[in-house]
Amino acid sequence: MSIKIRVRGKVRGGVAEIKALMKHPMESGRRMNKKTGKPYPAKYIDVVEVLLNGTKVIEGEWSGAVSANPYMAVKVKANKGDEVVIKAHDNTGATGEAKLKLK
Amino acid sequence: MKRRSFLKGTLATGAAAVAVNAGLLTPSTVLAEWNKAAFEAKKVDDAIKVLYGTTETVESGDVVLKAPEIAENGAVTPVTVDATKLDGVESIAILADKNPTPLACAYSFSGPALGYVSTRIKMGETMNVIAVVKAGGKVYKTQQQVKVTIGGCGG
Repeated sequence: MSIKIRVRGKVRGGVAEIKALMKHPMESGRRMNKKTGKPYPAKYIDVVEVLLNGTKVIEGEWSGAVSANPYMAVKVKANKGDEVVIKAHDNTGATGEAKLKLK
Repeated sequence: MKRRSFLKGTLATGAAAVAVNAGLLTPSTVLAEWNKAAFEAKKVDDAIKVLYGTTETVESGDVVLKAPEIAENGAVTPVTVDATKLDGVESIAILADKNPTPLACAYSFSGPALGYVSTRIKMGETMNVIAVVKAGGKVYKTQQQVKVTIGGCGG
């Protein structure tokens, strides 16, 4: 299953603010299923990458303590027309990718 | 004789590969490796030590941590770390000190990336949010208490 990512970005004064919203349960593996008494299995995004024109500029490592449907905003020095790619990977091996041309 | 030198060559490269696997070479050569030890650390200091190799930190007004004073829902606590005043920010980590494993997320930056990160984390109860920033060989730390009225873990 792939991870859905929505990404937006805007360049202002040579700096792009990139905002990404991912659709993911971010299950930490600690939450109990009250019916069965067993915890829900862990499923969370563990690695997020931000690429600018094909070069990795930011790498985030996450745990299950990041909220469900995670939001992330970062800032990168960039110009209009630059290409931003956001990549995500979770602990079960699912991946997702989103592309954006900066305006 | 050629065959012998060929064998020697393959053995040598094989040994180098083993060295990488065993973590003998610096970890910076092997990227995108999830830092299991840091995320499983049960204390803030332990997590910081695994991440940065030291617990000696400097308090600095140049690291701005934005978090709500009162979070109604601990499951979505917005946290922003702004270290854009510092030059050469290498990494930012966000921790919540009373969570079972305090380290929530850690980011590393290179090239044109600025030291700024905004995200949302889960918090089980009222506790301190801690931002740790590494820039120019120094480790900076800022913290703020967030009061949680509904816990974010256990649903």
